[in-house]
Amino acid sequence: MPNDEVYEALAAAFEASRPVALATVAQTLGSTPRKTGAKMLVREDGSFVGTIGGGCGEAEVWQEAMEALEEGDPRIVTVDLTEPTDGEDKICGGIMRIFVERLEA
Amino acid sequence: MPSPATPADLAAALLRAARDGPALASCTVLSAPVGAAVIGAKMLVPADAPPLGSIGGGALEAAVAERARAAIPQHLVATIAFTPDGEIVEGRRAIEAAQAIVEILIEVVEPAATLLVVGGGHVGRAVGEVGAILGMDVVLLDDREDYANPERFPYPCRVICGDFAEELERFPINANTYIVLVSRGHLVDELSLRQVAERGPGYVGMIGSKRRTRTVLQHLAEDGVDPDALERVFTPIGLDIGAETPEEIAVSVLGEIILVRRGGGALPMSARGRELAARGRPQGAAAG
Repeated sequence: MPNDEVYEALAAAFEASRPVALATVAQTLGSTPRKTGAKMLVREDGSFVGTIGGGCGEAEVWQEAMEALEEGDPRIVTVDLTEPTDGEDKICGGIMRIFVERLEA
Repeated sequence: MPSPATPADLAAALLRAARDGPALASCTVLSAPVGAAVIGAKMLVPADAPPLGSIGGGALEAAVAERARAAIPQHLVATIAFTPDGEIVEGRRAIEAAQAIVEILIEVVEPAATLLVVGGGHVGRAVGEVGAILGMDVVLLDDREDYANPERFPYPCRVICGDFAEELERFPINANTYIVLVSRGHLVDELSLRQVAERGPGYVGMIGSKRRTRTVLQHLAEDGVDPDALERVFTPIGLDIGAETPEEIAVSVLGEIILVRRGGGALPMSARGRELAARGRPQGAAAG
C-alpha cells in the first residue's frame, strides 16, 4: 500500500514548520490488519493521515504519537491483537511493533 | 561519505521517490545499544548514488547502505537486525541478542507499480480487477469503444481507447511497469509486443497457446527484435494452476507477476501440496 499521502503531509508540515509524529509498523507477527511499512502521521491538533490498521490498536498508537509529539523521544509500541476485546471474537490475532517518532524540519 | 541533509531534504526526497521514483531505500534506526547509533536516525539510499543523511557512519552505516541497496530490486519493507559493527543477525539469534543489536527498518519507497493491460475483454477486465486489489495502478487499453468503456471496469483504473501501436509507443515503460497482453487476437498481441518488449518493462506476459505464441516470438525475432528481450517474455502467460475462467486466469497471471516482483518458489507451501503438484494437474484441467 503506497504511503504517498503520508509523505505529502510530512513535506507539507515541514514546509509550515510544524512538528508531526510518524507511526510506522516495524514488524508484525501473525495476522495483522496492516503490514510492515504502513504509516500514520499525527499532527499537533490530533488530526492524522494514513492508517496502521484501525480499531483499538490505532487509538493506542495515536495516544503514543501525541505523547511523542509533546515529549520528543521516539518509542516502540507493541500492539497485541490476540486479546479478545469486549467479548467479541478476535478478528486479527497478531502482534504489531510500531515505531513512533517525532519529526520536525 | 553521506552528504549532510536536513529533515526537510529527506522529506522532499521521500515524497519524490513515492510519487515519481526512482525508488530509494529509507533506513531508520529503531533500537540500538547505548552509543552504537541514535534511535530515529535516518539515511536514504538510492540505487546508484551516495546515501542522503546518516545513521552515524562507520562499518554499521556501510553495511546498512549495502543491504538497503540490495533491497531496492526486492521491493523490501522489513526490520533487519545488525550487530553494532555491521553484521546481519538472523532470526532467533536476533531475539537472543536483543540487548546487543541495532534494529534498522528498511523501507523501499517507490511509486505504485503500473499494470498495463492490453485488451479490455473478459480476461483483461479480470486481470485489471485483481491488479487493482493488489494496489497496482491499472491502465486498460483497447481500440474498440465498446470495450474501452470505463463502465466495464468498476474498480480504480485508467481506460485508454486508441490505436494499440500509437498508444503503446507513447506509454511510459520502466522496470516498475507490468504489461499483460490479452487482446482479441495474435496480430494485436504481436504488434503490441513489438512496441514494448525492448523497453525494459518489469514484466511482459502474452496470452495464447504454446504454438501461437511461438509463432509470434518467431516473427519478432525475424524482424530483428533483441533475442534477450524476447527471452524475457512470459508466454504462454501465468502460473500453472489449472485456471479456466477469466477470473482464475487473472489470479494465475497476477500470481506470476507477484512471483517476478517478490521472488518465490511458486509451489504450495505445504508438503502435501508439493506432492500433488509433483504428481501433475488434476484431471479435467485445460491444456496450456
